[in-house]
Amino acid sequence: MEEEQQTFVSKARTAFHSAAAKAERVLLDFKSDREDHDKQSSPNTFTGQQPEAESPHTDENDSKLHSESKHIKWRPPHLGIKQDWQDKIKNIRRGRKEVEDTDKVGDASMAIPFYDDNLYLLNVKNDLEAKASEAMPSVEGLTAATKDPIPPSSVLKQLAIAVEAGSKAKSMKDVIASPGGSSPARERAGLSLSAVKALVLREKEDKLTSEFTSNEKVVQLINSLFDPEGDFLRRKIDSNLEETAMTSLPRDIHGAPPESLVVKLAEILGNYKTLRKMALFWCRVVAELRKLWFEEQYLPGVPQDEIPDLKSCLLYQQFQVINCCISRKRFRIIATESLDSMMMQANSDIKESTDCSAEASASPVLYARLNSGELVLRLGADHPAGDMTLLETGEPVYSPITQEGPLLTEDLIRETEEFVLRTGSVGAGCSQLLSDMQAFKAANPGCILEDFVRWHSPPDWTDNEASTEDSDVFDSGEPLSARGQLSRRMQKEGNLWRELWETSKPVPAVKQAPLFDEDLAVEGILNAFEEMHPSDLFGQLFVSLLGLGFGIAEPMLSGNSDFSKLFYDCKEYIITACQNNKLNEKVDGLVQVYETVEKMLLNPEEALKMIKQTEESTTVTGEPRSPFKRLSLIFGGKDKLLRKSVSKDQTNDEEKSGRQSFSSFFDSKSSLFGKKPPKSGSPSPSEKSSIDTGWPVV
Amino acid sequence: MSSSSGQSSGYDLSFKILLIGDSAVGKSSLLVSFISNSAEDIAPTIGVDFKIKMLTVGGKRLKLTIWDTAGQERFRTLTSSYYRGAQGIILVYDVTRRDTFTNLSLVWSKEVELYSTNQNCVKMLVGNKVDRDSERVVSKEEGLALAEELGCLFFECSAKTRENVERCFEELALKIMEVPSLLEEGSTAVKRNILKQQQQPQASEFGGCCS
Repeated sequence: MEEEQQTFVSKARTAFHSAAAKAERVLLDFKSDREDHDKQSSPNTFTGQQPEAESPHTDENDSKLHSESKHIKWRPPHLGIKQDWQDKIKNIRRGRKEVEDTDKVGDASMAIPFYDDNLYLLNVKNDLEAKASEAMPSVEGLTAATKDPIPPSSVLKQLAIAVEAGSKAKSMKDVIASPGGSSPARERAGLSLSAVKALVLREKEDKLTSEFTSNEKVVQLINSLFDPEGDFLRRKIDSNLEETAMTSLPRDIHGAPPESLVVKLAEILGNYKTLRKMALFWCRVVAELRKLWFEEQYLPGVPQDEIPDLKSCLLYQQFQVINCCISRKRFRIIATESLDSMMMQANSDIKESTDCSAEASASPVLYARLNSGELVLRLGADHPAGDMTLLETGEPVYSPITQEGPLLTEDLIRETEEFVLRTGSVGAGCSQLLSDMQAFKAANPGCILEDFVRWHSPPDWTDNEASTEDSDVFDSGEPLSARGQLSRRMQKEGNLWRELWETSKPVPAVKQAPLFDEDLAVEGILNAFEEMHPSDLFGQLFVSLLGLGFGIAEPMLSGNSDFSKLFYDCKEYIITACQNNKLNEKVDGLVQVYETVEKMLLNPEEALKMIKQTEESTTVTGEPRSPFKRLSLIFGGKDKLLRKSVSKDQTNDEEKSGRQSFSSFFDSKSSLFGKKPPKSGSPSPSEKSSIDTGWPVV
Repeated sequence: MSSSSGQSSGYDLSFKILLIGDSAVGKSSLLVSFISNSAEDIAPTIGVDFKIKMLTVGGKRLKLTIWDTAGQERFRTLTSSYYRGAQGIILVYDVTRRDTFTNLSLVWSKEVELYSTNQNCVKMLVGNKVDRDSERVVSKEEGLALAEELGCLFFECSAKTRENVERCFEELALKIMEVPSLLEEGSTAVKRNILKQQQQPQASEFGGCCS
């Protein structure tokens, strides 16, 4: 009986102590976090804590009495320590050795994570602060860099790293959320500790994020990037020479125009050292875009009223849509105010009188007289349509203000086309035609379908020869058919044009339901920006910056007899590489090509040596090599292993793209270093297959 | 059976063809004549329409998706979307109306240059309505000269009598197949379609006409 009771009591005590130990660990973690927070304002306080952290180790080596005195001396202010001391006193009174052993073990387990936590967090803080002070790009730094003729290759390389790293991430949010590496302290702690730690770390990450976005340098970069008057990141571009080349290269590689918002954004992001900071800056940019849209301010570095250029990258197209939507909203406001003021004018005119004198004075208000003699207000009339007159009333025909069609980027065009293919819908065309009919009716009271057709689709109307005597014919009251007639195809039964005409009501364009909802479109774009995959974003920025560098370099190197051939080979290489898919696998090679161009500009002598060395190695071998291998010698020097593809389709695609790149070099009339052209125009099948086998995938 | 790419889809290559030109030159009639041997009057196209034709040419089975566009100026923004990715573009004029011929260089060749995203696409100039020889105002020599200037193939035909209609489309398809990048696009489109079908085995293939 006694033994059973003792066992039960001892178990209860053990459980109690274990729970107490866990609670103390949690409390200590919170305190250590607070101390770290206080450390920023008062480092001495943190330093003062270290002796206490070390003291638990000393306990194990001291006698009982000495340890008691130590506790009294070093830990009086902390509740946890005091409680621990009291527990020890109680245990001593009972004189149970087993309990004492348990306490010692508890001390050890308490001390170690506490100590590691402090050191770990201290190191993390130091690293973060050091990185922040060193690597954060600034307006001054980037402005200084524009003195270089082309953007530094290190910037392009950073974007290349981001493209490759981004392709492994699931989303932009994942990039921002991952601090990199798991905490060893967390692994050592129990389940409850890990939960507490996660909460604490999350709060810290929030702090880091807000610190980044409110960082002075970041704010200045955002302001400079979106300053419509500024000349931030503007380089001397020789626009007189080869203007065609300057504008065509970005479109050939699906990039963005030089000095556009996309290119400047690429240069800024390429100066950040971590993927996470690049992602945070992008989120800051998206926030700024939302603000500009809300305030209806144009994006700088983007045309204000152009439909998307499908040859540029999707990001640039989306920027174009945003600006175009701002233009449309501004126009609609003006048109609506104009219409409303005209209607108010008309109402006040009616109140005054219907005298001819009043009618004459109301010049801004346009009327049309019906056959019944009634005057009807013209709504949304833009300008007279040549010298056309309405068939039944003889009044002048006015072209109405019309709604504009949808603004579609390449992704939406693909979706629309697939939708039409799937459903056979002609809705878009019908909606626009109906909108035009309603606007035409509002601007031309008394009109008929034939009038609309004469305006909208002139080939579907044939005038009679008697039309030269319009006034006589009209006065004599001859039937309509004497004036002319619709085309045979337009007269067919069941013609949708007539059905739409009879459905349409006279409604001016600004009062109609919109064919294209600007708010909806831009909201879709901004949401897409927030959801954009990192590899998509950084890939487009990479290509855009690449295009800028080559565009600037071309007029400088094209006239140089030493370098022009190599430059144009490099240019052809990037065009071929960018037009294929799978940019991720080509960014390293493209960076090397860019470095070659940079070397030709900044270190021409070294570049010349490199070319001569390549020529000599070719000469020594005595065999003419394929142009691609020479490019590999120049750009590589590294033997890259062929990347294994998971699926056969990818393998086939790679082979095809490789062959395409290969054939493009042979297609060019002049090979590299024309002194020794290849013997045959194209290799034999066996040679080709062997070359493919040894072909390094750049 | 399903592993074979050609067998499962029923065709080897898939190409997108675009018909453009002034209103009422006969674009829709040309397309309907090619698809179904019909020669009746067709109501003016509203926006865009399309028809799909299976064709065997040069030993290959082709699926042609042919987009028909409205020629009126008011529809131009709407139709400009459909230039994207077209491997073949047919510019049509009416031999009995000189302005439709003049507008090929004033308007339509500029539209192609502006909106086409395929630098290597094959272009063809087609003079329609040659059955109205008594009303002809544009000679064949003028058509040939403009085609050479614009870098286009050239045919004269009649949608009404079906003269040269099939030959137009067949010749265009053959020329597209001679361009390596377009050939690759054509086979890539087939693979993509097969992949979609495998993901949705229940869905039936939409290969019919729509008018």
